Amino acid sequence: MTQFSLYRPWAAASWGGPLDQLRQEMDAVLNRYDGGSGPSSSWRGVFPAVNLYETADAYVLMAELPGIESDDIHVSLERSTVTIEGERKIDYANLEGASLHRRERQVGRFRRAFELPALIDGEKVEAVHQNGVLLLRLPKSPEDQPRQITVQAN
Amino acid sequence: MTETQALQPREKRELQGETTRPGPVFRPEVDILERQDGYVIYADLPGVDDKSIDVRLDQGALTLDAQLATLPESGWNPLHAEYRIGSYHREFRISEGIDSDGVSAKMHNGVLELHLPKSAAHRPRAIPVQAG
Repeated sequence: MTQFSLYRPWAAASWGGPLDQLRQEMDAVLNRYDGGSGPSSSWRGVFPAVNLYETADAYVLMAELPGIESDDIHVSLERSTVTIEGERKIDYANLEGASLHRRERQVGRFRRAFELPALIDGEKVEAVHQNGVLLLRLPKSPEDQPRQITVQAN
Repeated sequence: MTETQALQPREKRELQGETTRPGPVFRPEVDILERQDGYVIYADLPGVDDKSIDVRLDQGALTLDAQLATLPESGWNPLHAEYRIGSYHREFRISEGIDSDGVSAKMHNGVLELHLPKSAAHRPRAIPVQAG
């Protein structure tokens, strides 16, 4: 069976190999680093939607992942690329004799990769999943942080 | 190998012109189940905790109101935004009699689980059939 677990479900026809997909996904994300304009009303990207913030010494990535157990969220980092993947499961089988009147909440797998504009200090990455929101604090690697150069008088 | 579908991205549904609160208000996605003894409602409320939600049942009208407990800090400079944040609001009409004293709610991982037991008069009863 086809496994629809990769990056761009709506663009299945243009899929290349996995590496092509990864590159296209990253390109798409990088192209949207457009100086912090608001979210587009026509956003139809890949689950989960994320917001990215920058502080002096770190990037902060937030994603809404309600109803997903922390054990079902996997975060990995390779150089400056962070990957979030996992699965949202909803099991109503334990509610015996229940009939479903309305079903809006989705289930399924997700995976997204982001290349950040600077190297990340992998030892110091923090990932917190609280109230259904994933928050990744990704400290910039020391060599990528801006440094003040003192200009000496001659 | 089991097949699992991919989660489809969906934009949050914003409520228009129904509120006097500042900032956007979103309509949370819900699942509603009915059992013999009552209803169970699950609502996705990412960023909400047990202290920032208000659930009200008044004459068959059920109202959910929730605020974010998890917010971006003021010193964070936004680089890239795909989703908006705001409060949540949704209303339901509950048709059958609910035992309002028995209603219970809990929050876990940004999901509200709400149990609404039917009042005794509205539960199905088995009628014993006697031999004549």
